[in-house]
Amino acid sequence: MESEIMLLGLVALGGGLTVALIGLAYLLLRLREAETRLHEKEDQHQGILDRLQENEYRLRTIIESEPECVKLQAADGTVLEINPAGLRLVDAGRPEDIIGRKIYEVVAPEYQAIYRENMRRVFAGESVVYEFRSTTLKGRTCWMETHAVPLRDARGEVYALLGITRDTTEHKWAEEQGRRHQTELARVARLSTMGEMATGLAHELNQPLAAIANFARGCIRRLRTGEVVPAELIEPLEEVCEQAERAGEIMRHVRDFVRKSEPRMTAVDINQVVRSVVKFTEHETRQHETVVTLQLAPQQPRVWADSIMIEQVVCNLVRNAVEAMAETRSQRREILIRTVPHDGDIVEIEVVDTGPGIDETVIDNVFDQFFTTKTEGVGMGLSISRSIVESHGGSIRAESRAGGATFRFTLQAIPVKLSRDERRYSLHS
Amino acid sequence: MSDATVFIVDDDQAVARSLRWLIETVRLKVETFASAQAFLDGYDASKPGCLVLDVRMPGMSGLELQERLAARRAYHVPIIFITGHGDVQMAVRAVQAGAYDFVEKPFNDQDLLDRIQRAIVFDAEQRGKEVQRAQLRALFASLTPREREVLDRVVEGLSNKAIANTLGLSAKTVEVHRAKVMEKMQARSLSDLVKMAMQNSSVTS
Repeated sequence: MESEIMLLGLVALGGGLTVALIGLAYLLLRLREAETRLHEKEDQHQGILDRLQENEYRLRTIIESEPECVKLQAADGTVLEINPAGLRLVDAGRPEDIIGRKIYEVVAPEYQAIYRENMRRVFAGESVVYEFRSTTLKGRTCWMETHAVPLRDARGEVYALLGITRDTTEHKWAEEQGRRHQTELARVARLSTMGEMATGLAHELNQPLAAIANFARGCIRRLRTGEVVPAELIEPLEEVCEQAERAGEIMRHVRDFVRKSEPRMTAVDINQVVRSVVKFTEHETRQHETVVTLQLAPQQPRVWADSIMIEQVVCNLVRNAVEAMAETRSQRREILIRTVPHDGDIVEIEVVDTGPGIDETVIDNVFDQFFTTKTEGVGMGLSISRSIVESHGGSIRAESRAGGATFRFTLQAIPVKLSRDERRYSLHS
Repeated sequence: MSDATVFIVDDDQAVARSLRWLIETVRLKVETFASAQAFLDGYDASKPGCLVLDVRMPGMSGLELQERLAARRAYHVPIIFITGHGDVQMAVRAVQAGAYDFVEKPFNDQDLLDRIQRAIVFDAEQRGKEVQRAQLRALFASLTPREREVLDRVVEGLSNKAIANTLGLSAKTVEVHRAKVMEKMQARSLSDLVKMAMQNSSVTS
């Protein structure tokens, strides 16, 4: 019985063992499976890591080989990272020469404030483009343009500025040269205008001076011979005074014309401007035997303008007409200046000549800078005229017809009420 | 000379008036014109004097007025041009085209008046010569064709005999014609006659 029990016990034990073994084996199997899966996961992770690394490597290669400067900056301007192009741009020999230092060290003093403001905007989330002058670590001065965007972390907070910076020195220099060139041309144009004016002025002043001398000499001669009663001298002496005033008027005009000043806007009577230009260009029109006719609409509304500038426009148009007719030896040399009435709020001025007209192929170019058909022209007159007219809110155009050219430009008229106020003002002043 | 008139053409009325005031001090008559056309329309060619002309004027210029006067093929008063400073080329052109003189602005009053006086004297001389020439032309016109033929040969220096031979006349007839020519031409001597003939040919040629 005992042996049976033992046997049973053994059997039971054996069975239990077997079950345990099976269970153990099962566990081991599961464990192995888990391990395999774990390995698979690890492999997967490794793959991701590898790819990440690969990506980073690729990005870094791109950035490193990027010809423009690429850099990361912290909010306080500390340079976090910079590529080799960036190092070259700021004349840094090694990365540590600039990394960890403030970008402001290479920003020119006058651009510090602008730079800070742009930094602030990027860290507020904006993308900006800004230009500044830089003094590199070696003290070289150059111009730079930066396109900057914010870099955000996982929570969306801006933690750095990513900037791509380009050296614009050469571009800037070319621009500067262009501007200087233009200024120079404008100066030349101004000088040549002034040269012409000086000649015109000499001739123009000769008239009243000759008259003054003649009247005065006539008086002296009569006084010497005693064949004159004092009252007879009043009229010629008054003429002397008038001619002196005429000379003074010419001088005043030249002074106004030459004076370099900000536009002085007043309510301008366009008819008055035309009359004064005719007077002022009388020498040139006389010299080229040109007849100037005026058709001025009465009761024109006034225009809000710098009268000297508008005079310059009319003057340029008259001068062009005179020269066009002189160069082609036109038989009839006539200039008609009209002020054309308009119902609306526009005043129109027309300068019509009897010259050769304008070739159709170039009529669209006549207002271009440096465009000229004259042998010694600079091509500034009409271009300047257009900018003056446009700055006054008007427009200018050229037309060619059989037997001459017509230039007309418009100016904004002042509503009648204001015009009256202005008139009242000028009466009291 | 007091009957001489100074014609002034200047579009600048103040200058024209001042010239009048100055020129009247030497007791000359003055007429002013505001344009070349006005002068052409109103000028009386029979009046002696001179023309003071502004070279540059709108419309018809002084030079053009000079051309128009020349084109009339009749005597006109001598022209004094008034030129602006630096108009030397124009002045040269004017003088080449027959202008009497020019003054450059600004001018000295005495200088201008002197030139005006000289021009007036020149005008009087020209008018005198013009009268002589007219008289001479009248004398020549009074000769018969035959007398002209004889005169032409006398002037050539041919003898009466030679003239008779070339014209197929008798020496006697030539002598009669010759005396008639001397009489009609009011010539006192042969040299007188030759001079007149030369003057006339210079006028007519």
